[in-house]
This record gives sequence, structure tokens and C-alpha cells, in this order.
Amino acid sequence: MTLKQKIGAAIPYVILVITVLPIVVGYFWLVLSSFSVSTEGLRSTGFTLSNWSFLREPPFGRGYPSIWRVTFNTFVVAISMTLTVVIVSSLAGYALSRLNFPGRKSFLSLTLLLHAFPSVTLLIGIYFVLRALGLYNTLLGVGMVMIGFELPFGIWLMKGFFDNVSWDMERAALIDGASRFRVWGEIILPTVKPGLAALAIFAFISGWNAWLIPRTFTIGAGQQATLSVFLNNFRSDTVAVQWGTVTAVGLFQLVPVAIFFIFTQDLLLSIYAGGAKGGT
Amino acid sequence: MNRTSRLERGGTPPLSHAPSGEETSSIGARMRSRLEAYGFLSPAVLLVTLFFFIPVIIIFILILSDLKSANFGTLQWWLPVNWSLENYAKIFGNKFFPKILGNTFFYVAVTLTLFIFSSALLIAVLTTHINRRAGFFFRVLWLLPRLTPSVIYIMMWQRMASRAPHGILNQLLVPLGISTGGDLIQAAPWLFVIIANGMIGASFGMVIFTSAIEAIPKDFMMASKVDGASTWQTIRHVILPSIKWPILFVITYQTLSLLTSFEQIMLLTDGGPGLYKTEVWALTAYHRALSNYFGNNQWGYGSAWAVILVIIGVAAASIYMRVFKFDELVQEPKIDLL
Amino acid sequence: MKVKLENLSKRWGKVVGADCINLDIGDGEFVAFLGPSGCGKTTTLLMVAGIYKPTEGYIRFDDRVVNYLAPKDRNIGMVFQSYALYPHMTAFQNISYPLKLQKTPKEEMKKRAQKVADMMDIGHLMDRKPAQLSGGQQQRVALGRALIKEPQLLLFDEPLSNLDARLRLTMRAEIKRLQVDLGVTSVYVTHDQVEAMTMADRVAVMKEGKLQAYSPPDELYDQPRTLFVAGFVGSPPMNFLDVEVVRENGDYHARRKGFDAVVPSDRGEKAAGKGNVILGIRPENITIANVGVSGEIYVVEPLGRDDLITVHIGEASVHVLSDPTLGLRMGQTVTLGFNTHKVQFFDPQTEKSLLWMD
Ligand SMILES: Nc1ncnc2c1ncn2[C@@H]1O[C@H](COP(=O)(O)OP(=O)(O)OP(=O)(O)O)[C@@H](O)[C@H]1O
Ligand SMILES: [Mg+2]
Repeated sequence: MTLKQKIGAAIPYVILVITVLPIVVGYFWLVLSSFSVSTEGLRSTGFTLSNWSFLREPPFGRGYPSIWRVTFNTFVVAISMTLTVVIVSSLAGYALSRLNFPGRKSFLSLTLLLHAFPSVTLLIGIYFVLRALGLYNTLLGVGMVMIGFELPFGIWLMKGFFDNVSWDMERAALIDGASRFRVWGEIILPTVKPGLAALAIFAFISGWNAWLIPRTFTIGAGQQATLSVFLNNFRSDTVAVQWGTVTAVGLFQLVPVAIFFIFTQDLLLSIYAGGAKGGT
Repeated sequence: MNRTSRLERGGTPPLSHAPSGEETSSIGARMRSRLEAYGFLSPAVLLVTLFFFIPVIIIFILILSDLKSANFGTLQWWLPVNWSLENYAKIFGNKFFPKILGNTFFYVAVTLTLFIFSSALLIAVLTTHINRRAGFFFRVLWLLPRLTPSVIYIMMWQRMASRAPHGILNQLLVPLGISTGGDLIQAAPWLFVIIANGMIGASFGMVIFTSAIEAIPKDFMMASKVDGASTWQTIRHVILPSIKWPILFVITYQTLSLLTSFEQIMLLTDGGPGLYKTEVWALTAYHRALSNYFGNNQWGYGSAWAVILVIIGVAAASIYMRVFKFDELVQEPKIDLL
Repeated sequence: MKVKLENLSKRWGKVVGADCINLDIGDGEFVAFLGPSGCGKTTTLLMVAGIYKPTEGYIRFDDRVVNYLAPKDRNIGMVFQSYALYPHMTAFQNISYPLKLQKTPKEEMKKRAQKVADMMDIGHLMDRKPAQLSGGQQQRVALGRALIKEPQLLLFDEPLSNLDARLRLTMRAEIKRLQVDLGVTSVYVTHDQVEAMTMADRVAVMKEGKLQAYSPPDELYDQPRTLFVAGFVGSPPMNFLDVEVVRENGDYHARRKGFDAVVPSDRGEKAAGKGNVILGIRPENITIANVGVSGEIYVVEPLGRDDLITVHIGEASVHVLSDPTLGLRMGQTVTLGFNTHKVQFFDPQTEKSLLWMD
């Protein structure tokens, strides 16, 4: 290789490294800060583990819920959201992909419409729905809204997976004597496991990270708080922020998602590309 | 119903010659199969009704009323006598209205061109032309902002921009004499709003462009290389034309999502600094109706702002369905319910 | 169990799947549906299975109309071309799934599955998942799953077309044997005429959704009712020549330019005086002879046991099966003898046989 070619081959790397620098620096600071007394730029003023003491006692003082309580809330919201989204989406996706019934076409167009529809614009209306149901300021209410928002994507994704399942297999099961519901549960669902897994991961991540909806429909840092809301309350402009602790709690929230992602990136990237386009 | 009785029902004496066109399934059987289908759909329908349909209706009624914290419980907002177009007079008469409108256009246009389109395309092209694993590594890094809880992500940006000696950028810029060490978000709020949002948005385009580029037959690329095309020529004449649709899709889809999302701006600047410096349309709607920032929730007035976005959303979504031929993805079931 | 299809039709909008099919299947009979791709074989079969709802007409099992009956209540077994095994279940779970759905006790389930597996000779494969089985083994599992319910009607949709030629022969014999032993009424869909002719008691030939012929294999071969059936059944296919049949000196002559053959009067009289008719004759009924019609060999294709030669007679051409030891060459002139006792005549307009009419 000539020098010119070498330089040519290096150019893409140089550009990529430069563009990705803010991300790398940001995450580096996050880790650094969580182990530092304080930071100045990218310089630590001293190493400490005390930022992580929140694992033992409430991080921001006695009056606030413990990290475990908040993590538990977040986990409950994320897991129940995941389960519900997966079940409801695969039920509806199955019907839309496989069953013939009056109104099927309209249901399909509707799902598509909602898939592209910006749901955040409805928050004001939802506020009144939750109040009417008595679910305002409850984890259940927050969970239900997040499930609702995730459904159009989930249904469309699952429909795409069901579309690719062999018809003969389903016919065979019907002839063997299964009801449509059993066909769904015993025959079809096990063959779309990758789809279920992908949807579950997407749903879990969005449930775990959610900030806007919990913050809108529950009150701040009470016993009902989820991690994002909780964290944000200690990131204000008015009081001196304990950056060390805030970043440690932030990392604490980020790590499960990052681990999740690293193990499933292949699956997610392909589904994401397909799913965003509306089905695989 | 047990099996014999069903057999008997199946055995109702048929006409010796079936008149053509006669429906050959029993009403009972059809009812049963329909119930089955609606059974599968009912949980989804319930949630969609609760969190899409009813809210839409509510919003469309709210825009006609003056419902706010102060008169909540006393104003019968659902009664037509209390309806008026007052809210819209208020919006258009608002002296910050031109500012907010301008902000929204500026934000969407700049983020879209700089990040969602250009950066996403650049990364997609570059990462597909270098070593596979390295390319993958860079793409994963770019996906991090999307996966990170927004609170933490924004926190990183605030720290990046905060004043000396804490700020990361200031550590570099102050010695160079470019910055005086103040908070950079105060100094250039749009810069940070756009970069922070753009880096999240870019990953959407990146993933879709990447898969589209990887789907281009290798022969095409080879042929153009053999023909002696430079890398730039290959990109212009081979790659760009073959990912025309994905590009259009990403641009339209992301326009809508930039127009309506406000979570990151709210966390980063909350529309400031100062009055409405970075306040966009969607954020205004949220502030007015659901944020206690002004000490008063003006649900009616806020809805009036939001409804415009709802209408744009529905219109855009139905255009996608046409343009991207989503309905061609719909196939007919190959099992008839009896 | 007897099966009867009455004016059975299936349409999707303008697309016609099956068009007014009338067909009787006797108890224990083995019927093959034969026809080119897209002719509606699968559609008809799936209506019998209860998967497709007929647009018109009736399906009767033992005189009972079953149009309204769900597939699971029809007591049928079906084998698919794609095998349609459940990929996440072992062979045992696949085979016993119908029994599990009937809530059969575990012990009995095991016993019956074992019996079927032994019958299929797959007893040793019961713990494997479909992906770990060969095509032939998968098809046996699928067959076992169809049989375990002891159905009164077996439906096969091209069950052998994904197997290699050798295995196809073996399985063909096995299925036939099994069907005779069990005495189950069976419908077997195939586009392979050898399969249809060798296995079935009666063959239903279909084209574009319509039933063309329904008769025992030898009758189908020797007495084709339509031009389509004559051309479709038999390999290499029947030769067709446009001729005119005239009576001269008490003999019937089939004539065209460069061709003149005397046909037996029982056949000739039905075609005489009808103007242009289509004469059909099978390649094996034409021989290289000393006297007869002369033509030029256009091409010789060795088939192993025979040579298939194409001979030009004037503007027409015919296929002839000949003995390879004759050493025939391209371009050679030969004389062909026609075994006219086996000729067929068809009306060129209606494409119906002039000899065999119902
Ligand atoms: N579910 C369906 N919807 C619409 N048209 C269909 C459907 N199933 C079959 N058809 C059409 O009906 C006709 C008959 O199809 P069918 O599958 O019965 O053919 P076949 O004889 O089984 O062919 P092959 O030998 O290729 O399996 C075809 O033209 C086909 O396109
Ligand atoms: Mg078929």
C-alpha cells in the first residue's frame, strides 16, 4: 500500500472518531465523576467510593425513598409493561395477520396510523382519562399509558413476524384439533420467539428509561417515583448538585440497559431497521 | 356444545341442489369465529381506546373551552354553551407566537439537515466501508444516546457545557481564549439543543440507512469500482439512488417526531434561557397544560396548541401509508373461519 | 367413510380456485387429484379439510353435509407438502399432539404414539426435533401425526414432492400399502401423474379449477374424455395430428398432407364426415416399420430403455419410442407404422373425445 492509499483508508476512521468523540467523552465523564470527590473538566479532584453509598442508604437524605424502593418501582413498571406489551401485541398481531373478520382492514390501517402517530401530543387528553379512572399519580396508571404508547409498534412488529409463519403448520394444528387460541399459544408463539424477544427488549428498555410519562402523571420523588424521575429531582439548577452521587445513580440505572443491549445488539439492530419501517 | 350435537347441526338436511351464491356457512359458526377474532383484539382495543381515541376526543373538546386549574370542577367544559374559539385568538395574539413558530421551524430544519440526514448518512456510508467489526463498533457507540435514559444523557451535555472549572468544553476552550468560562448553554443554547437531539435522532437514520446500504447487491458496488469510479462517485451514482426511499422515509418520519417531541429540550433548557429562547411548539403545549411551572394548568389553552400537532400527525401518518405503500404489506388470511 | 362433493366452488373475488366440482369417493377408496400447478387441487382439498369455506356447493361425509363443521370435528388427518411439523416439538410430541388435544391419558398416548411410530419405522427418532430429521423421516412423522387419531379420511397434499426420486418410490409404495391395510378413504393431491396412476383407485384430473375427468387410471389412459386429459396423462405425451377422416372402399382413412393411415371402423366411423378432427396417438403406439408413413428424424433423445425420437411428417411432427439398438440417426428417413387400434379422435372446437362420451 502506498502512503496515499494508507491515508485514504484512514480517513473514514478519523471522521468517525471525531464525530463520536462527544459520546465517548460524555460517558467517560459519567464514570469518572461517579468515583470522584468532584470533577473539573475531565480531571478528578480525588478518588472516592462514597458516591456509591446510596446502595446502602437513601442517596439524597433520610426524607427520600431508598434506591431499592425506586429501583423496585422502575423494575415493576418495566417488567409488567414488557409482559403486557408482549402479550397484548402478540394477541392483536396474530388476529390482524391471521384471522379473517369484518373490520380487519380498518384495524390494520388504524394500527399503521397509530404506528406513525406522535403519541406525546395526547398527553393532555390522557391526563383526563387517568383522572377519570382514578389512576392519576399511580404506578398502574403510568404503566398503562406506557403500554398503550408501545402497542402500535408492538402489534405491527408481531404482525410482521406472524405473516412469515407457515400457513400449513397452522392448518395442521387446526386439523389436529386445536382451537385458534391454542394454535396461537402452543404452535405459533414458539415459532416467533425472536420477535417476542426483540419486542420484550424494546419494551423493557423504554419502560426502564421512561421519564416524561412518569414525571407527568405521578408526583415527583414520592414512594411512587421511578429512577429517571427520582434522579432528575436532584439535578436542579437551584441547589448545589451532588454530581458524584447523581452520576453514580445514573450509572446504576444505565448499566442494566447497557448489558441488555450488548447481549442483544444483533437482534435489535436488525429488528429496529425492519420494525421501524413497519414490519419485517 | 358437545360433539354429537354439533354433528347433528351440521347434518341439517341440505337442498338437493344448492342455489348458486348461497351462503354456505351457518350464522352461529360465523358469530363464534368473529367473537374469537375480537377476543384476540380486545385488550389492544381497550388500551388504544383509552389512550388514543378518548384523549383525541377530549383534546378536541378542550380546545373550545377555557378549562384550567382555577375553574376545574366548576366549569362544565363538555357543554357546548361553554365553547368558543377564544383559545386560538389567544394563541395568535400571543406576542411570543412568532418567536415560538420560528423556533420550531429552525429547530426542526437544522436538526434534520445536520444530523438526521447528513450525519446519519455519513456514518452509515463510512461504517459500511470500513472493517465490519469496526463499523459495527462505531454504530453501537452511536446508538448509546438513544438507549441512555434521557435524564442521564442530558446531564452529560449539561456537564459538557457548564462553566469553568467544571465544564468539560471550557477546560479546552478557556485556555484557547475562545470562551470566557461561562455556562455555554447560556451562551449558545440552540447549539446544544440541536446537537443533543441530533445525536439521538441520527441513530434512527443510521440504522435504516445501514441496512439499506447493506442490501445493495455487492455486484453493483464491484461493477462501479471496476469501472474506475472513485469512492465519491460510487456514493453518488450507486448508493444514493438505491437508498432513495429509505432516505425519504427517514426524513418524513423524523420531521414528525422532531416536531412533536420535546423531552430533551425540556430537560436541557426547558425553553430558556430567558423568555422562550428555545421554546418550541410541543413544549409550549406541555408547559401550558401540564407543567406547574406557571402555577396554573391551562388545559384548554394547552390543548389548543397541541391539537395543531395532532392534526399534523394524523395527516403525516396517513400520507406515509400512501407513499410507502404500507397497505401492500397486508396479505389475506389463508384460513377461512367457518 | 364416503365423501361427496356437490357443485363445490371456491372463489376469491375474481380469482377462481375451484369451479363447480362434482365428485364421489367411495368408502376406503384412494382418489388422486391430478393437474398442473394452480389448477385448484390444494384449494379443493382444503375445503374438504374445513380450512377453506366453500363459496358454493356442499361437502358430504357419509351423506351428512359438513360445510359447517370445524376441521377438528371432521375426524380427518392431513399430510402437507412442507410436512408442517411443529419445529419446537420433538417427533413424539408432534405425533401425539392430536391426542394431547383430545385429553387422552398419558399412558394411552404413549402406547398409541409408539404403535404409530413403529408402523412408520421411526420409533428410534422420537426424541428428535424436526430440524434434526431428514426429509423422509420428517414426512414419516407427519404421516404418523395424521394417522394417530385413526381418522376416517386421510388427505395428502403432494406429500412426496420434496423428497428425492429414490425415496419417493419407497414412500409411494409404503403409503399405498398403509392405505390398503388401514382401509381409510384417502384423497391424494399430486402433479406427478406416475404417482396418481400407480397409487389411486380413481384419478380426478383438474384444470383451471374444473374437474376434467374422473375415472380409474387405465380408463383415463385408454379412454381420455378430453383433449386436455389425453395430453396431460402419459409420458412422453400423446401425439396430436390434424386430420380428416374419410371412408373409401369400406375402409376409414385418416388423412393429412403426407400422412394416410387406415383406422379401425369402430373408431373411424365416429370421426368420419366431421371435417377436420384431431387424431391422438401415444408414442409407444408408433413403431419403426417397413410399410407406412415416411418421415425424417429430427432429433434422437436416449431415455435409457428407449430412444425418444422426433419425426417430421410433412409439416407435422410426432414423438416415437424406439429401440436403441436400431441405431437411428438424425436426418435419417424412416417409415412409421401406426397401431391404429389405439388412436383417439377429438373435436377441435369442443376439445371433447369423439369416441368416448358419457
Ligand atoms: N388463499 C388464496 N387467496 C387467493 N387465491 C388463492 C388462494 N389460494 C389459492 N388461490 C388461487 O387459486 C388457484 C388454485 O390454487 P391451488 O393452490 O389450489 O393450486 P394447486 O392445484 O394446489 O397448485 P400447486 O400444484 O402449485 O400446489 C390459483 O390460481 C391460486 O393462485
Ligand atoms: Mg397445491
